[in-house]
Amino acid sequence: MKLLKKYKLVVLGAVVLTFTGCAHEDQPTESQLNFEQPVRTDLDNWIITNYTNPYNIEVRYIWNQNTVDNTRYLFPPTVEKVKPALEIVKKIWLDSYSTIGGADFVKKIAPREFVLVGGVNLNSTGTITLGLAEGGQRISLFQVDYIDKKSRADVSEFIHTIQHEYVHILNQTKPFDEQAWAKVTPSGYTSSWYVESVSTSRELGFITSYARLNIFEDFAETASMILLSSKAEYAAILAGITSATGKAAIQKKEAIVVQYYRDAFNVDFYALRDEAQKNTDAVINN
Amino acid sequence: MKVKNIFSYLIVAIFALQLVACTNNTDAEQKFDQTPTERTNARKKELNDLLLSSEHGWKAVYFTDSTQLGGFTHLFKFLPNGKVDMASDFDTDTDVYNSQYEIQLGSTVSVVFTTANRIHLLSDSNDYPTAALRGKGFLGDFQFLYYGQDKGDIVFRTNRTVQELRFVKATAQDWIDLPKNATTLDNINGDMTSPLFRLLVTNDGTATHNFDFDFNSYARFGEATSLDPTYSESYLFGFAYTPTSAVAKPAVVVKGQKLTNFVYDSPTNTFVATGTGGVSATIKYTNAPPVLTNDYKSLLAGVGNPPTVFGYISANLYTAPSNSDYCKYLLDRANATLPAAQKISRVQLYFNTAANQNYIQYQFNGGKASITHLVTTSEDAVNKTIILKDAGWTVVASAYAFLKELDAELVNPKGLYVKKETFRITYSNTIYTFTSASSPFRITSYAL
Repeated sequence: MKLLKKYKLVVLGAVVLTFTGCAHEDQPTESQLNFEQPVRTDLDNWIITNYTNPYNIEVRYIWNQNTVDNTRYLFPPTVEKVKPALEIVKKIWLDSYSTIGGADFVKKIAPREFVLVGGVNLNSTGTITLGLAEGGQRISLFQVDYIDKKSRADVSEFIHTIQHEYVHILNQTKPFDEQAWAKVTPSGYTSSWYVESVSTSRELGFITSYARLNIFEDFAETASMILLSSKAEYAAILAGITSATGKAAIQKKEAIVVQYYRDAFNVDFYALRDEAQKNTDAVINN
Repeated sequence: MKVKNIFSYLIVAIFALQLVACTNNTDAEQKFDQTPTERTNARKKELNDLLLSSEHGWKAVYFTDSTQLGGFTHLFKFLPNGKVDMASDFDTDTDVYNSQYEIQLGSTVSVVFTTANRIHLLSDSNDYPTAALRGKGFLGDFQFLYYGQDKGDIVFRTNRTVQELRFVKATAQDWIDLPKNATTLDNINGDMTSPLFRLLVTNDGTATHNFDFDFNSYARFGEATSLDPTYSESYLFGFAYTPTSAVAKPAVVVKGQKLTNFVYDSPTNTFVATGTGGVSATIKYTNAPPVLTNDYKSLLAGVGNPPTVFGYISANLYTAPSNSDYCKYLLDRANATLPAAQKISRVQLYFNTAANQNYIQYQFNGGKASITHLVTTSEDAVNKTIILKDAGWTVVASAYAFLKELDAELVNPKGLYVKKETFRITYSNTIYTFTSASSPFRITSYAL
């Protein structure tokens, strides 16, 4: 045999060994991960039908420490309280925007996740955090266990959170005229807003004390407060302000809000307000 | 060496490598037979099976922080499909409620009560027993990390504070007994007619020591301060409740003995923990303040005291914590008899006026004229009280009938303890409290 032939045999042998040598290794067995679908309750199915499927919004009411601030003493909602709270949000927020902005409005621009918390988020300073929005993706709603559907004050406070946070989400999609806004009340913004009374803030041209944190909160508070109030209630707020400059400032801001909704989204803000009021009445009276 | 030889050796070397390449001996010792995922899943199943295994469920006496709070007894009955029945002696509602639980992977395998039930009452930021715990509730957790088993108990650690919490197998009797814890709760909390002050009395077999026991019934925690300035011992402890006793944690140590089980004695309305050799600790109630003051002396007549006036002003002092519930109850009862616009606005006590008079004056909102009750004053030097005695009213009996109950406390025959307080309410005026020696009546006033 020529040397070259020997090499060929040797190489062949090596190739055969390469392909067969490790044949006795364990084959992967069945996955250890659990792919079972969790058992769905009636509530879960209702959420899927009304939130997840039409709007691609996930609702978390089952406690998971990764979705809440672990340094806070909070607790999950009572199961029976979840659906009433979600019905309020759907009726007053989702339905109002869908009716006025078009069926797809909220589908395109919406938070992807709601986290529901049963208890009050009381800060050690004594202020209460009503809601949180993280990066426009997740909105945390507190006090789910305490909403009385028949109480306009309760419903308004609860819906205030979502209206406020949703305005932020809209702003992140299309910015408002920040320069024009900043010129309306250049002074008056303060990080210690929580020690200021609402009436003082209104005299200075801010709809609430929280609006005084910065222009973005100011915009969200101005828009959400108008959406929360009927035309008459809002007029009463304005009528209660004695300072002419304060009143004019709030009206100037209102005009910027209205223009923003028209220019950026082609939405008639006052029609949206009226629809939200109609739906609020429907929630309270039913 | 020729190139051909190098090539030959190289081929042989590669061939040899092929033959030894698949040896299984990596020399690394296998710590576990299973993969981490397999082990986590096994651990999850172990915990869930364990929770479901006890016929009558599990009992946990949860001391969230034994340096400032007492313990709360919980009963759990875990059910298939992630449901759990639960009862608690957090308050007098000891009914069983249903909610959900999950075995979740946190920093280790843990049980989480995922929808609201009784255990979550300890984790409500808006319901706190002391000012220091504002925003923190009762410091409770409801996610418990699984650390294994010990003598049939499940050993957990709390998620936030990493404190040990044991689930002990519950019995049918535990479920029957839990509502009875409320009786002990009521016995130690008392109601508005219970004496205002608590004492802790320790007996080391030869001598007794008295302590002022300042107990926060909502926090279930108390602080005992020695009344004898030469005896420096003090105690801080919380209580968990059983149907017949209050169990202290940490233990009250008297002469080296750890006393924990304070058994309620109904005839004497006391809680007694008994050790050996005559050692005991007793919690008792008294209408007499543990520390008596001489503040009443400056109000006495006939010893040259200047005129003084003390005013309970409804608008500022009704909510004062130093008013007893019984005092507020009597004020409410008197007010309830008046027309809607009229309320008691002030109760003023005048001592040694320029006209040498002493009287109680009731003032009203809504245009109603004041009513005055003249009194004489005397001293009970032993009990350190000032005794107000009826000397006639400025109106006819029918006109002051509605004040009679309230007034009777101020003129009670055993007298009033007077205390100049160190705190202030709204104004810089000195606060004085007047406490009945024969009932749990205490009213707060400004020195005017």
